[in-house]
Amino acid sequence: MDLVKRMFMGQLARLAAGAAFVPLASVAHAKINEQPPRRGGDPEKRWAMLIDLRRCIGCQACTVSCHLENDAPLGKFRTIVSQYEVEDEATGDLSTFFLPRLCNHCDNPPCVPVCPVQATYQQHDGIVVVDSDRCVGCGYCVQACPYDARFINEHTQTADKCTFCTHRLEAGLSPACVESCVGGARIIGDILDPDSTISKMMDEHYSDLKVLQPEKGTHPHVFYLGMDDRFIDRPEALASVWDVRGEDFSEMGYEFSGH
Amino acid sequence: MNSPVIEILAPRYEIAWYPWAVQYFFLVALAYCSVWLALPGLLFGRNGRWAATARYALLAAMTTAICAPIALLADLHQPLRFWHFYAHFTSTSWMSIGSLLLPPFVFAVIGLAWLVWREPMLAWRERQDWTGRIARIATLGGWQTPHFAVRILAVVAAILSLSIMVYTGSEIAVVEGRPLWNTIWLPPLLLTTGMMGAAGLVLLLNRVAGPWDAGTDRKMLGVITLFGLLTAGVVLMWGMEGLFVEGSSIAAAIDSVRHEPHWRNTAIWGMLAGAVLTLAAGLMLWRAGWSNKPKILGPWILGLVALHMAWMARWVVLMHVQTVQKQTAGYSEYIVGWQSSGWGGVIGIFGLWLAVILIIDIFVPWRAALGGSTGEPRPAPLSPNQGVATHG
Ligand code: SF4
Ligand code: SF4
Repeated sequence: MDLVKRMFMGQLARLAAGAAFVPLASVAHAKINEQPPRRGGDPEKRWAMLIDLRRCIGCQACTVSCHLENDAPLGKFRTIVSQYEVEDEATGDLSTFFLPRLCNHCDNPPCVPVCPVQATYQQHDGIVVVDSDRCVGCGYCVQACPYDARFINEHTQTADKCTFCTHRLEAGLSPACVESCVGGARIIGDILDPDSTISKMMDEHYSDLKVLQPEKGTHPHVFYLGMDDRFIDRPEALASVWDVRGEDFSEMGYEFSGH
Repeated sequence: MNSPVIEILAPRYEIAWYPWAVQYFFLVALAYCSVWLALPGLLFGRNGRWAATARYALLAAMTTAICAPIALLADLHQPLRFWHFYAHFTSTSWMSIGSLLLPPFVFAVIGLAWLVWREPMLAWRERQDWTGRIARIATLGGWQTPHFAVRILAVVAAILSLSIMVYTGSEIAVVEGRPLWNTIWLPPLLLTTGMMGAAGLVLLLNRVAGPWDAGTDRKMLGVITLFGLLTAGVVLMWGMEGLFVEGSSIAAAIDSVRHEPHWRNTAIWGMLAGAVLTLAAGLMLWRAGWSNKPKILGPWILGLVALHMAWMARWVVLMHVQTVQKQTAGYSEYIVGWQSSGWGGVIGIFGLWLAVILIIDIFVPWRAALGGSTGEPRPAPLSPNQGVATHG
């Protein structure tokens, strides 16, 4: 497609869309869908996590301890380690890649402005939390999070996700996942404090740090060290577990289904 | 699919919006579009060329406007907390804005239907049975409905319906996390398919509820043809943006669902249904000049297809897309079960809708509104002959 044609068609499409929906678009770009003010939390702090993937062995200790600490329903996880088998296209050698996932406590979290009752909100310390007493379970935030970090908890029928274990942070403890991490891959801390471990590590490895889907403009605050670029966006991968099906197409070997 | 990467383990979550959401977006679109179909008849009054159409469109608008919020409520996982919407209004959220816009719209439509229907209902006040008792209560006195009030409320309802159109479209289109939703072409698509569905519903009512009106058939076939073409235009523009505009969400959207056979099949089915429908409506319209008799296999079948297509458009856009994982590989398959969050809810809402129509049909002489005469025969006191007799 040559450039001129592309630009012309692009303009045409924009023009036609614009003519009909300029008022609509300008409304959408007004205050709607912008971040509401933050509430609560310590404004002197900005919590963030650094995950050193070189140290992660994919043992799921964090997954289990988080599950126990936060009492998530079976089959739902506030954090989990995605596991990949990666084949070197040149040599055919196989290796594994582990990617711990959790809420990124984005600085521009798309899950917050959509919440119709401000049950999902961001604290001054950057942590995004859900007030489960206020949440109406509309699921809008689940749709809005580009990282699938949220789910509807079927016990509480409200939105649920990682909170960086605020209740533990407030008590001076580390989050359950950090506490239990076998390889010491998860580092949590206050990035406004230059003497914190995380600040020092971020200084040291600044150019090697990556976040998930940076193009979404969400400014995630979970930083990955040793990240493979293929996994920054939705990876092109064969989802093997979901292909394990019986004759009747029902899933086999997924122990949590049906609970 | 051949890939050097295999995802061995990743969480799989259920979808967050159930088919209730499809029902809501379907019914509410029918509601606001039906208001527009009723508008000319309501504005230019009784016995006008649009009066018959307005009778059906008003029934469509009223019943869908009642059922839509129920479906919406059911899609909340905590429906009893709906009052939180009003206790914690959030100006940044389209959903919250919608919670303020929806009640005025629903009440405006109900009020409009009441104003229009109470006129023929006045004649039922004399009846001794249940319908009479209901008519005496519902008409709130024997005064004549002022026509300017109908006109004003019709315009108010139409303006409010615009706000519903904008909010429902924007609510979905602002979700950047889902490329298929995050496009300026989605609100117009919901509008054009909604108009086709509403016209289809009027065609259907025109035939099954009667009395059949040839002019309404012709007008609605025209609406379906026009908005079918507009829908095709919207889909085309959407596709063009995907092909030619750098960094548009469409390429990502298509990419995200390309390998999903269910989505592909339903999308193709929906588009085919839309194309066939538009063609058939255009053809029928063209041929209608020769025949003015109701046909067994007439436009009402196209009405059904139009409703189906409008529903499918929402199903394709809202449901299947949710099975696309946003950050991990693969799809979380959503098997629509028979429970209330699956087909149970879909059927339940349709059942409720039908029940509302039937109840109105029993208690309200809506066919006689706006100068319609082929409903219930008018009881004695209001018929001209009787009037002369008592006078004499
Ligand atoms: S990762 Fe998702 S849930 Fe967490 S703050 Fe960002 S958008 Fe919200
Ligand atoms: S599910 Fe709860 S937290 Fe999420 S947007 Fe709805 S009300 Fe807010």
